This record gives sequence, structure tokens and C-alpha cells, in this order.
Amino acid sequence: MNFDQMIAERSSKKIYRDGNNVVKIFDEKFSKSDILNEALNLARVEETGLPTPKVVEVTKIDGKWAIVMTFLQGETITNLISKNPEKTDEYLEKFVDIQLEIHNHKVPLLNKLKDKMNTKISQTDLDATTRYELHTRLESMPKHKKLCHGDFNPSNVLLNDDGSYGILDWSHATQGNASADAARTYLLFHLKGQIDLAEKYLDLFCQKSDTAKQYVQKWLPIVAASQSIKGKPEEKDLLIKWASVVEYE
Amino acid sequence: MKKKTYEPVTSVETLHSAIARVREAQKIFATYTQEQVDKIFFAASTAANSMRIPLAKMAVAETGMGIVEDKIIKNHYAAEYVYNAYRDTKTCGIIERDESAGITKIADPIGVIAAVIPTTNPTSTAIFKTLISLKTRNGIIISAHPRAKNSTIEAAKVVLEAAVAAGAPENIIAWIDEPSLEMTNTVMAEADTILATGGPGMVRAAYSSGKPALGVGAGNTPVVIDDTADVIMAVNSIIHSKTFDNGMICASEQSVIVLEGVYKAVKDEFKKRGCYFLNKEETEKVRKTIIINGALNAKIVGQSAFTIAALAGVKVPEAAKILIGEVESVELSEEFAHEKLSPVLAMYKAKDFDDALAKAEQLVEDGGLGHTGCLYVNTAERAKIEKHAAAMKTCRILVNTPASHGAIGDLYNFSLTPSLTLGCGSWGGNSVSENVGVKHLLNIKTVAERRENMLWFRAPEKVYFKKGCMPVALNELKDEYSCKKAFIVTDGFLFENGYTKPLTDKLDALGIQYTCFADVAPDPTLACAREGAERMKAFNPDVVIALGGGSPMDAAKIMWVLYEHPEADEDFPKMAMDFMDIRKRVYKFPKMGEKALFVAIPTSSGTGSEVTPFAVITDEKTGIKYPLADYELLPNMAIVDADNMMNQPKGLTSASGLDVLTHATEAYVSIMATEFTDGLALKAMKNVLTYLPSAYENGAKDPYAREKMAEASCMAGMAFANAFLGLNHSMAHKLGAYHHLPHGIANALIFTNVIRYNAEDVPTKMGTFSQYQYPHAKKRYVECANFMGIFGKDDNDTLDKYIAAIEELKATCGVKKSIAEYGISEKDFLATLDEMVENAFDDQCTGANPRYPLMSEIKQLYLDSYYGN
Repeated sequence: MNFDQMIAERSSKKIYRDGNNVVKIFDEKFSKSDILNEALNLARVEETGLPTPKVVEVTKIDGKWAIVMTFLQGETITNLISKNPEKTDEYLEKFVDIQLEIHNHKVPLLNKLKDKMNTKISQTDLDATTRYELHTRLESMPKHKKLCHGDFNPSNVLLNDDGSYGILDWSHATQGNASADAARTYLLFHLKGQIDLAEKYLDLFCQKSDTAKQYVQKWLPIVAASQSIKGKPEEKDLLIKWASVVEYE
Repeated sequence: MKKKTYEPVTSVETLHSAIARVREAQKIFATYTQEQVDKIFFAASTAANSMRIPLAKMAVAETGMGIVEDKIIKNHYAAEYVYNAYRDTKTCGIIERDESAGITKIADPIGVIAAVIPTTNPTSTAIFKTLISLKTRNGIIISAHPRAKNSTIEAAKVVLEAAVAAGAPENIIAWIDEPSLEMTNTVMAEADTILATGGPGMVRAAYSSGKPALGVGAGNTPVVIDDTADVIMAVNSIIHSKTFDNGMICASEQSVIVLEGVYKAVKDEFKKRGCYFLNKEETEKVRKTIIINGALNAKIVGQSAFTIAALAGVKVPEAAKILIGEVESVELSEEFAHEKLSPVLAMYKAKDFDDALAKAEQLVEDGGLGHTGCLYVNTAERAKIEKHAAAMKTCRILVNTPASHGAIGDLYNFSLTPSLTLGCGSWGGNSVSENVGVKHLLNIKTVAERRENMLWFRAPEKVYFKKGCMPVALNELKDEYSCKKAFIVTDGFLFENGYTKPLTDKLDALGIQYTCFADVAPDPTLACAREGAERMKAFNPDVVIALGGGSPMDAAKIMWVLYEHPEADEDFPKMAMDFMDIRKRVYKFPKMGEKALFVAIPTSSGTGSEVTPFAVITDEKTGIKYPLADYELLPNMAIVDADNMMNQPKGLTSASGLDVLTHATEAYVSIMATEFTDGLALKAMKNVLTYLPSAYENGAKDPYAREKMAEASCMAGMAFANAFLGLNHSMAHKLGAYHHLPHGIANALIFTNVIRYNAEDVPTKMGTFSQYQYPHAKKRYVECANFMGIFGKDDNDTLDKYIAAIEELKATCGVKKSIAEYGISEKDFLATLDEMVENAFDDQCTGANPRYPLMSEIKQLYLDSYYGN
């Protein structure tokens, strides 16, 4: 295998370009099931016809698990915004349209968002009372079956000049309530400190999907709690604050 | 506290065994008497009451929310007021009995109740729910909130131990020691009903558990202060209520909407009494503190104004009672518009009362649907109170009352049920809209014993009979009623042939003015009745005299209706609506007889209309026949004088005579027949059988036969005016309508076939009427036969002989053997058959028939009668 260049290096995985393919190599701390699950998720989403990377193989490279998938052309919206800040609104619009397109699909065999959230809430180090409140809140949310990306942010969306696009990183994909997916995106903007963009995004999402803002907001304590597991210390305060709310009595 | 140990419930498995223990205990408890239960209820409430202070302290210490002194009041209230409200309420066994109506109500427990208890009122709600469960012989399992579990469980223990000491089964109350949503869901799914108090999420979980739930939801109480309100009382009531337990009562005021005129006065009074008005900057800080992304910050719930201000970085005096934000938007984007469960209050300025109501409505929509609304107003302003009540989609609307204390009942209004579980109706997604109490924890069984309807016998006030009676009876018009103007309704034939002359001569002699309407044709029309009514209005009579056969009498009744109630002209379709029970019909017939008396003088012996509450009128435009039936249509006086009937033609004598026989027979076998109508029916039948042949053959030459037939007609009329008719008439009505056969002949052609059909001991279906206990039409026909002197070797033989006698009578009177013989072609008959069948089935008369007919059976009867089988 000939690794032309490293495209990205995350804390526990490295991503290389290999001709028309991309190779994602995982650290030892990932379990086999994590890798197989990510590949399976991607394979399942592939079948919707959305412009996603295609799984080529799952293999071991130098004793580490790796997923080989096709390379997608395009520039991330993150890069585009920093290059052409004046066109931010245009990119944001495209960003929301692509997310709504994802939500139009159904992938019945994916994990259920609600199950995943329940597990995550239980895994947090929030106190029992807060977890109880969050479980109750989650229980009361409507159950849907829309395809949710789970980590939909501008760095995972590629745009091309011809208007085509690509969507990367399906490792968190689930089926469930689209507003939870939007709440996650909103939270991700916030965590990056892009408050204005977060608000603009939410307004645009709600307007285009004809959803009440409160309805998306109801998911925020839940996605904040699940995000807190990743445990970035600088994010902790905000996440705990967002998760520590009560329902009216 | 006694150190009794309980098996800890910390997992779904231990929960299942706990539920099983409660279920066992409840089975025993269900057998307890009211005395035993009341003793337990008393002991439990006394124990809870005596522990009110330790429990309150414990709740505050554990949850870190609220105020001990206020929680003491809540515990006190839950123990004392709830006991007081239900001390004498019957909740065991027979709770109500009405011997004459045959109704007994029996209270049964529901079984095992799942109780979800919130953090805001843990001990008081636990006391409330366990007490009402004990009073209703239910078992209860408590699912506390993790934040308040120890104090909730302690309250339940106090109640349980006192109850058991007073004789309740062990384990009648249980609780979850380590609450989790999974356990709460399990207990809700396993219980028989759910008493869920909590946020919308918990309430939704309760409803989705598949078990009946008494869930209550969120409040967002808006208060409107009208400019007529007593400002000092209003403001201090609000402060009293809003600061109570640091604003944690769900009914607590969240927003105050003040009319412009008193805004300053209200603000000054709030300030004077120690409330803190936030400036613009402080308002913004508090805004961002109380609500996070549209949800209530858990840290502020039940905290003091000072603590919340400090969290927001705002400095206020330590004794500040309430933080007030003067805000404008009532939309959810305004944080102050939310429920705050703390001494934080939004204040709005309204330009007028309508503006205030619009704001209050929106605030309720924002998150308090179905809960509580509040108004301060001068109570003389009834219109405002009504308008406010109409606008609020809340199940409690409090006037001049602190909301926290007011909504739970019995503190500021003594007819509102005391409760700590407040139903929010369908608006709040609840099954109840009132304050929850013991009645919601009972299954009330209603034992309904068979009773028979009240029956009646109604006839004209005066029925005069005997040959030659008319002139004598008419004297009353002058002597008793002082009538001055008579309106005579008759038909052209009778008028032109001098039949009205004895009547008009008598009226002349009495000095009563009269006019005569003689344009009634057979099958009278609405047009004819309207014309007559117009003439009546012009003439303004005080007595209407109908002289003639069925048609003039029917037409005269309708004219009478239109004369007395011109507005009823629109109502014929409603008046004619078929009824199952004449007493339960939808249409209320107008009161008759306020302008004129109604006197009926029959000239044929057939319809009996002179004594019946019936009239048939045809809408000439649509061809629809309206059969009207109401006792308002009963004539006031019937004069049955055979002198008016002497010269009936033969055909009329036979047709109307046989009509009398079917009237009497159907009234006798009707499911509504009574002994009062039986006598009349039997005698009428016998008269027909005995005297019709001679009346038919000899006419005026046998005046006695004429008289007996006249009386038979009238007696049969009284019988069927009260017992109604049956299928024979239903079928004859349609046969007559579709194929233009005289009514009496149509009846006669079907008569014996219907008798055979009804005289079936195993009918497909029988008629529905309480007093009609089993199919007994055959026996009734046999009684008729016997009364006429016909006896056979058994019932079937008697029935055969009876039918033979009727067939012989028909033959004697010149009635042909079949419908076909009356010149109706098979093709025409079959073409209309299905329609006739359906219409006959739907005829008003069908309902009283002893055998409830299937349409296929009616069809067969028609076919048999057509071919003369």
C-alpha cells in the first residue's frame, strides 16, 4: 500500500489518501466491533444512494484495524467558509439542504438514535437526578425513523464547483428524530464558539424543515449529555449546564 | 420512628416481587368493610399529620429546595384536609341504592396503583396519594424522584405503619428504593392505574404505559389584574402565593398582566412589600439564568429570590421576596414567559382587558394548558369574570385568590375538592379535568335491575257516545265552554249531501257563529291544511269541529296546529320523525288548545281518529307523507253518534270495519299493550265480528249494528292510541301508498298472514320493550279467539279456527282473496316490492309489533298476500 499523503490526523485515528481510496487507520483502543460497526454503518448508508464514500475493504495494517473506502472529491464547507467568509450564508444554506436530504432517507437496520442516547445518558457522570430527568425527557420525545448523521458539521460536508457534494464520517449514523440531529449540529457550532453561526443554522433548519425551534431545543439537554462523555475538559461546563434542566411540574 | 425493615426494591426483579406482595395484600384489603377502612384512614392521616414537621425538614434537606415552614403546611393540608373531605365518603361496597329505579352503585377498588411523586412536593404528595389509596382499598407502589426518594419513602412508611397498626394488611404500600426510569416504567406497566404527578415527560410516559392514568401536567398560571381590582389585596395575595415554598406549587403565578390604569399602583405595592424589580440589564442576566435553551435551569427550582439573583450575578437584598421582570413578549422566546418554579415573576402591561386576556391566553398556550388561570377583579364585574373564564383554556379559574393555595382547594373556596393532584383535562393530555380524589380510584359498578316503564292511558277529556248524542253533547260548547265561533272542517261530499246540517242547525240554535271549510280531499295535503289554517286565522274560532272520516279529522288537526302555532309550519319533517319511545322523542311538540278547543265527530266507523293522537298529512310537492303522533293532537271532545254514520256506503262500511278489527287486534298483541287497552281492544274486536256483517249487509236498516260498529271504532281507537299498532299497519300503509288500495282493504289482505307470522313461539327476533318478557303473541291471539267464543283443541287449533273466522268475515264483507285480485299486475307489484319492504320495515308502527321483523320476512309476507297464499 502506498500512502501518498496523510489527509487528517485525529487523536486516535489517522487518515491517508491512497490513490482513489482513503484509508482510515484506527488506534488499538478501538474495539473490533467499533470498526466493524463503522464499516457496516457506512455500507448501509451507501445503499441509500447518498454521495458517501464507499467501503472497499476492512483490513489490518501493521496490526491496526483499518477501513479502506473510496475518496470523495470536494472541499469541506469549513474550508470554504474560511476562504470565502462573505459567502457564509450561501454555504450554510447548502449545508442545511444537504442535512434535510439525509433526513429524507430511511435505513431500517441502523441503530436507533433513542437507544443510543439512552445508553449515553447512563454512561455520563451526571448525578442520578439529572440522568433520571434526561431519561424521562428522552422517553417523551417522538420516535421517528429518519436517517441521522450524528456528527453533521461543516467539516464533514464536501462541496464541488459543479454543485455536487459529498458527506463524510458516518460512524455516528443512526435512525431517529431529525430534530435530535439538528440539535447535535447546533451544539457542535456552539462548542466551536461559533454562536452566531449556530443561531443562524438553527433558524434556517427550523424554517426549511417547518419545525418549531422549541422542538429542536428540547433535544439539547440530551445531546449535550451524550456529548459530555467525550469529555473534553474545556467543553464540560457548557455541556453540564445545558444538561442540567428540569421539566416543568 | 419505629425501626421496621423492608425488603429493598432496587432492581426490576425485586420490584416484581414487591408488586406481587402489594397485590396479595390488596386482595385481602378488598374484602374490608367501610368501618375497617375508615379506622385505617383515620389512623394513617393522624400519623402523617403528627410527622408533618420531621417530614418537611427531611424533604428540604434532601432536595435542597423549598421552605420547611411551607412544606409543613403542605403536609398538614395533605393529612387533615384530605381526611376531612372524605371522612364520611362511602368507598366500600354499596354506596348508593335507589329501590324504585332499580339502581345500585357499588364501589370496588381498582387494585394496585402506581404513584409517581415529584421532587417539588415529595412528602405531601406521598401522604395525599397513600391516604386516598387506603380510603379506597387500593394497594399503592410509590416511585419517587431520585432527588427526593428518602423523604418520599419516609412519608410512605409513616402512613403504611400507621395503617398496618390500625389493621391494614402488611405490604399494602410499597416503594422503589433506587428509582430509575426503567423501574418507573415497569411499575406503571404492571399497576392497574397510574397516579402520575410530574412534568409532561412523566405524564406522557404514564399514558404510553398502556394503563389508565390520572396524569397531571405543567402549569403556567397567568394572573390578570383588572383596573377594578383591589390592588392591595391582589398584590399581597400574589406575593403570598408566589413565595409559598419558593414558588414550587405547579399552580403558582408565573406572570402578572396588569391593566395600564393600575400598573403603577400594582408596581408600587409590590415594591412596598419587598419584591425586587429587575432593571433592564438585570432582567437580561436573570433571563439567561432561569432558562437554558428553552428549558428550566434545575439549579433555580425552589430557591430563594436572593439565591437566584446571585446565580445570575445580580445583587438584591437578602430578604427580597420575588424577582420581577417587566417584559413585553408573551412568546416562548421570552424566558420570563415560561414556568419558573421559583420566586421569579414576569410582569406585563396591558392596554385594556381584551389585551390582557390575549396575553393570558398565549401564556397558557406556552405551557400551562389545562392547569390554572387567575383573575383579580371587582366581583360586580360579572361580564369580565365570564369573559375571562371563557377565554382561559384552564380547568381551574380562580378569582381574587392566591393561585398556589387556591387551586388545591378548600383553602380559599370550600367547594373546590382538596387535592394535590390537579387534572388538566384533554388540554393537558389528562383523563380528568378536576382535582383528583377518591372517586378516581374506584371502579363504580352499577347494578341495574329490570324495571318496567311507567305506562299510561290517555284519551280525550270527553268521549260522548250513543245514537243521537251529538246535539246534547254540543250544548257544552255554549254551556260549559262559552264558545262563540266554530270552525267546521269536513269534506265536499259530506257538505254537499247535507251531513253538516244537523251540526250547523245545532250551532245556530246555540247562537254560535260558524264557518265551514269543506275542501278536504282524501289523503289531505299540506296545501289544504295551510289553506284551512289561513281561513281559521281570518275567522279566529274558539272551537274547531272536525266532521267526517279520517281525512277531515286529520286535516283539521293539522289546521289546528298551524292556527295555534304558525311557526310550526317549518317543522313537519321534525314532527314526523319516527320515535322508538314517544316519551323520548327529540322534537318537543307545541302546546295545543290555547286558542281553540278541538271537537271530533266521526261519520264513519273506522279510523278512531276522534280519540287518537295521530294525523297523517301529505306534502303535495314532494309526495312525502308525514305521520304525526303526539298526545297534543288528541281532540278535547269526541262525539260518536251513529246518526252521523247511518248512510255509509257498503264499501266504506266493510273497509273501515275491517280496519277497526286490525286496530283492535294489533293493539292487543302490541308489546305496549296493557290491561287498560286490552279490555277496549277485545270488546272492539267482538263488536266487529258480531255486527259488521249486518252493518255491511243492512246499513241504516240495522241502526243497532251501526251503533255497535261506531263504538267498536272508538274503543279500538282508544286502545291503539295507547298501545299502538304493528306490522300489519306498517305493511298496509305502504301497500296503500304504492298501489292505491283503500286502507281498510290493504289491512285486511295482509291480516291473517301477519297473525300467523306473529303467532310464532320461536320468532327470529322479538320486539324490545321492558315489559315484553318473552314471545307470547300466539297466546294473545288465542285469548282474542276465546273472547269471541272460538275454542280449539289446543292453541294451534284455536288459532286456525280464529283465522278461519276472520277469513269468513272478510269474505262476507266482499274482500277478495289476494292483492292480485285487486288488479295490481305482478310486474308492478314486484317492481315496487323491495322499496315497499324497506319502507314498511321503517314505518313507525313496526316498533310495537311483538315480532321484530327482518326485511326478508316482510317481503315473504307481501308475496304471500299478493298471491293469496
